[in-house]
This record gives sequence, C-alpha cells and structure tokens, in this order.
Amino acid sequence: MTHKRWFTPWLLVAPAVVWLVTFSAVPAVNTLILSFTNAKPLGGGQFIGLDNYTRMLSDDQLIDALTNSIVYMVVCLPLLTFLPLLLAVLVEKKLRGITFFRVAFYTPVIASAVVVAVIWGWLLNDRGLINGLAEQLGFLKEPLPFLTDRWLLLFSAISLTIWKGLGYYMVIYMSALGNVNRELHEAAAVDGAGPVRRFFSVTVPGVRNTMLLVSVLITVSALRVFSELYILSNGTGGVGGADMSLVMLIQLYGQGLTGQLGYASALSVLLFVVTVGPMLVLTRLNRKGA
Amino acid sequence: MRRNWARLATAAAAAVVLAGCGLGGADTSSAPTQDASGEVKGKVSLQTWALKPKFTDYVQGVIDAFEKKYPGVEVEWLDQPGDGYAEKVLTQASGGTLPDVTNLPPDFALPLVKNGLLLDVTTADSKLADDYVAGGIDGYRYAGFDGVYGYPWYLNTDVNYWNTDLLTKNGLDPEKLPTDLGGLIEQAKVMKEKSGGKVFLMSRKPTLIDLTNAGVQTMAADGKSFTFNTPEAAAVLDEYRDAFKEGLMPRDVLTTKYAGNAELFNSQTVAWTTGGGTYISSLAQEGNPTLAEKVIPSEAFGTPPLYVQGLSIPKSTKNLPAAIALARWVTNAENQAAFAHLVNIFPSTKASANDPFFSKSDGTPSGNAKVIAFNSLAKAKILQPVQVTQAMSDIIDQQFALAISGEVPSQKALDDAVAKCNQLLNG
Repeated sequence: MTHKRWFTPWLLVAPAVVWLVTFSAVPAVNTLILSFTNAKPLGGGQFIGLDNYTRMLSDDQLIDALTNSIVYMVVCLPLLTFLPLLLAVLVEKKLRGITFFRVAFYTPVIASAVVVAVIWGWLLNDRGLINGLAEQLGFLKEPLPFLTDRWLLLFSAISLTIWKGLGYYMVIYMSALGNVNRELHEAAAVDGAGPVRRFFSVTVPGVRNTMLLVSVLITVSALRVFSELYILSNGTGGVGGADMSLVMLIQLYGQGLTGQLGYASALSVLLFVVTVGPMLVLTRLNRKGA
Repeated sequence: MRRNWARLATAAAAAVVLAGCGLGGADTSSAPTQDASGEVKGKVSLQTWALKPKFTDYVQGVIDAFEKKYPGVEVEWLDQPGDGYAEKVLTQASGGTLPDVTNLPPDFALPLVKNGLLLDVTTADSKLADDYVAGGIDGYRYAGFDGVYGYPWYLNTDVNYWNTDLLTKNGLDPEKLPTDLGGLIEQAKVMKEKSGGKVFLMSRKPTLIDLTNAGVQTMAADGKSFTFNTPEAAAVLDEYRDAFKEGLMPRDVLTTKYAGNAELFNSQTVAWTTGGGTYISSLAQEGNPTLAEKVIPSEAFGTPPLYVQGLSIPKSTKNLPAAIALARWVTNAENQAAFAHLVNIFPSTKASANDPFFSKSDGTPSGNAKVIAFNSLAKAKILQPVQVTQAMSDIIDQQFALAISGEVPSQKALDDAVAKCNQLLNG
C-alpha cells in the first residue's frame, strides 16, 4: 500500500528540520546580526555597523589567535592525515597480539580531553616528569618552559592533539582499508611493486575519499581548538595571552554578565569564514584529483 | 518578484531575531514598586550558590526557623551549582525570573544594578547601617549609583601562610617573617641561595590588590575608567620582574591564576601563600594533613583585602516584605555566626564582633590564623574594583605576566591592560 499524501515526506523530516532550524540556523543568523551590534547579555545594544569588524584590525590578540589557529591546522593537517593511515596499515595485519596495539592506540581517544590535558600539564611543567628526567640524565641544566614559552606551549598542545587524534582517525582508516580491493595489491606485487610503492599506488588512492573526510574533520577541529590550549595554559592563554586560539578569544569576550556579545559574534563569524575557506579548498582539490 | 519576497522574509526574520536578542533599553531606577512594611506571608524564593549538599542541613535549618517565625510564609530554596553561576543569573535576569532573595557577590550584582534590576535595600530598610559592618555594606555601593544593592552576608580576607619546614631548612627564621614586599624579596634571595633554586619563597605575580596596596588608584572615582597605568604601578611590576629574572619565583607563576599560589604551596614548591582564615584547617581536613602541621600564619602585607558575599533582592520581587525579612533573617548575627562555625567565613554583622569564637585563639596555628583574619577584617577594604570582570581579570593577568617575564616594559604592559579593560568597561 502506497501513501501519496504530499506532506508525508515533510512530516518525516520535520523533527530534523525543527532541530536544525532551532539549534543551528537561528543561532547562526542571530550571531551574524549580533556581530553588527554592541549587544551585551543585559540591557540590549545598538546597531553599530562594521565597528566590530574594524576593531578586529587593531586587535593584537586576534592576530596571535589567528596565527595560532592556522599553525595548529597547518601542523595537524598533514600529520593527522598520514600518521593514522600508517598506523591503520600496521594494525590491519593479522598478527598475534595485534589487538593490544589497536586498543593501546585507541585508548587516548576515549580519555577525556580535560583529563588528558591535565596529565600532560603535570608531565610538561617545570617540575614535571619530562623536565625532571632530562635534568637527571644531564640533558638539561634548566627546565624547558613547555608551558610558559609561546611556541613551546603551542607545540605541546599540538602534540597532545595529535597523540589523542591518532587512534580516532586510525579507526576511520581501518574501515576504509577494508574496502581496498586485495586483488590490486596482489597484482601490484606480481608486477614487482614493493610495500612502499603499493602503499602510495594502491592504498592511498583506495582511501582517497576517506582522506578527504579526515582532512576536513582535522581542519575544522584544529581551527576550533580550545581544551588543549586552555588547560595547558591554566586558562590564561599563555604569557600575554599569546597562546589563545580563536575560540578562547571568543570565550574571553563573550563570557559573563557583561560579555561583549557583539564583538564575540564578529569573532565567531570570522572563525566560520576561516574554517570554511580551507574546507572549500580541500573539496576542490579532491574534485580536481578525481 | 520572488526575489523581493525573499528580501522581505529575510528582513522580517532579522527583525524577529533582533527583537529576540533583547536589543532594547533598560529601566535603571532602583526604588521598590511595593510597600516593604506589609505582612510577611506567602511564597518567597531564596537562591544560594553551591551550598548543597555540604551545608544543606544548615540552610534548611535557617529556612525552617524562618517559616516557624512567620507561619504564613513558604520558602522555596534553590541552590545553583558552582560552575556556570554567572550564566544562570544572566538567564534569570534576562527572563525576569531572579529569585526574591539571591546570593550575588558585588561584581555579579553590578551589571544587574546598571540595568535597574536590583532593589536599593536602603529604600526599604533604613536600619542597614545599624546592624552590618561598613565594609560589608560598602561592597554593595557602586560609583555612579545611589544606595546599597545587597545585604552583606559573609566576609573573608587573606592571611599569609608559611611553610616552617622549608623556611628553617633554607636558612630562614619563622619568627622573623617578612611583613612587606621588600622583606619578602630579601628572604626569597636567601631561600634561593640555600636551596640551590629548588624551592622558592615567592609564589605569585602581582595583582590589582598589590597595586592598590602600593598606593595606586586603580580606578577613577566615577567608576568609568581604569587608571592603574601609573609609574608607581610600573615600579611594583619592575620589582617582580627583577625578582623573576633573579629566579626568586618558579616560572609557572607566569601562567597560574587565582589559587595557583596555593597549589604551588601545597606541592611544597614554595614556602609562602595567601588564603582565607581557616586555610590550615581546610588543608588538614581535605588536602594535606602532614603539610598542615608545618604551616604558620601571619598578617597579610599592607591593607588586607575584603571579600564580600551578599543577598540581593530584585526590584521586580512580588513579595517584598517576605524578601526583606528573609534576607535579614539569613544574614542576622545569630545565623551568620552559626554558619561561620561551620565554614571558612566571618559574619558581616556588628553584633558578631564580640563573639569569642572569632577573637580568641586556642593557641594552634589554625586558631591563630582565624584570629588574625578576624582582626584583619576591621581594617580590610575592597582593594580590587568590583567593575573588574573575569575577562578584564584575564587580560590584566596576561599583561602582568608579560611584564614580569621581561618581554615588554612594565609601563607598556600597564598601558595595554588599561586600554583593553577600558574598552571592555565602556564597549
């Protein structure tokens, strides 16, 4: 029996549409509108044109935050795109005890980002395990300022993100590797291709679409990084706030009873634009390569 | 035509969303809209901040006694979790659902005062100054606004704490503790030399409280701009910068926030911290009893800071007589004293000044700390302007860290901090 009532499809998608409109579309439009105002949480605000956007041009913290977010993305993107693929290829082998390694690589993923960052904070501080060990072994005379130097703090946070992300993307690649035709590998081997050649000529093209997906996910999460930098810097954003990410900056200006919602919204719009740009580039590259 | 409709729809949607954002003005008068002297009856709500479950019995006891005294009244008690309280208050204030009696620290109350949401309690209660200490009342007076916008509830201040074990092991005498920044730096040099830089005496970078104590006027009298970028303030930062360069404090202080010095103290990396009057007993009960035995207190450097908590009443309360009666009941001398016997606080009522529980020590370091804190309250003042929000505090912290690390001159860091804080204040 077939129902031909015109509203049936609408009824079926209605819950999802209502959800999206309420929690995504309206807040997005609201954010865009607020970015042209000097709104505060209490007491309203007025339309101030492009003032919030022109203010960005002279905001030195924003320049730092943009730089940090872009460095984060530039470092994380290649490493988190290729390293998990290599790991996936390694743990895909049916060897004795391989399950242990699969679980070990995946464990950081299920650990809370906050807990992991706190542990890394203990490891990396001036009296932490890493500095202590290096000093004991005579590699260092003074502790390295992992958590108080602008670039060391940023790269410590990047290392944490990569360590935590390896297992997650590895699992995605493992499912993709299952779809790569084994006969292609066998044919390439018969033609004399070694493991490296087969990896680049068979495996990589076979998981190309997954790589694109992973790249997009990494780009978005790297540009929106918050927890790692926030916790490793004790919420201070580093000395002078030089290690703030864009999201931390939005939180700084938007928080509390007197938050500057207008400026925080303008920063959110900027984050959206900065995030969409690389995604479009990646998608275009994929189309060209296809 | 279709395009025009789309434009019209977009404009309408924008108007609706803008209206939803609350982009409107505020009624800033603070007088009550009803008579405060009516009968105490009906429903009244009380909102506290993170008192459950630890103090459930105490608060419920206070409420039960209030309901017994006023048989026609029914109190609804709401306790909000510690995290996200500002956001909760914000939601309530925007929705006009602030409870009749709400625990608001002075900095939370200020934006509500600016928007005319809180009651000037002096318009409904003329005996405020008779019963509460001036410092507590002053916490709820704001530059540019007449009146008092909350009943002072409980007070606290800072006391210096010292690790005697680290002091004696590193050539310092616990009987001759530093009494100012200069003395602290001198003894920090001794500690660094004797310990080979393994432990430190100094445990934090300066705050606005230190600048106020150095005689710097941190804010203009009208409360409309910050003014702490003075040469005197730069001199204070320079002292800390030189101490940092000399290795007299751990590098971690650059990125530690409030209570970061206590964490360093608890890990025995530093030998000095500041804390409330019952820090030692808290340490013994919750953290590190072995360390607690080694700790002795002394008075805070300079003028001690005053920290105030209070109960405010929204102007829109529907039951003003009961709200006033409840706020007074919770903050009366008897109930505050009972609360202070349970936890690290001091009453804001004048009648509590003679309570021997606070003014006499049992001879232990913990008892001495309580008495030092209680006596300090007599001269304690609010040293950080209540206009300082969390965002401003973060920016000040960041800029002071830059100055202490030597990456920028102290004066530039202060100028930048003042410019950014003024932008947040007036933006």
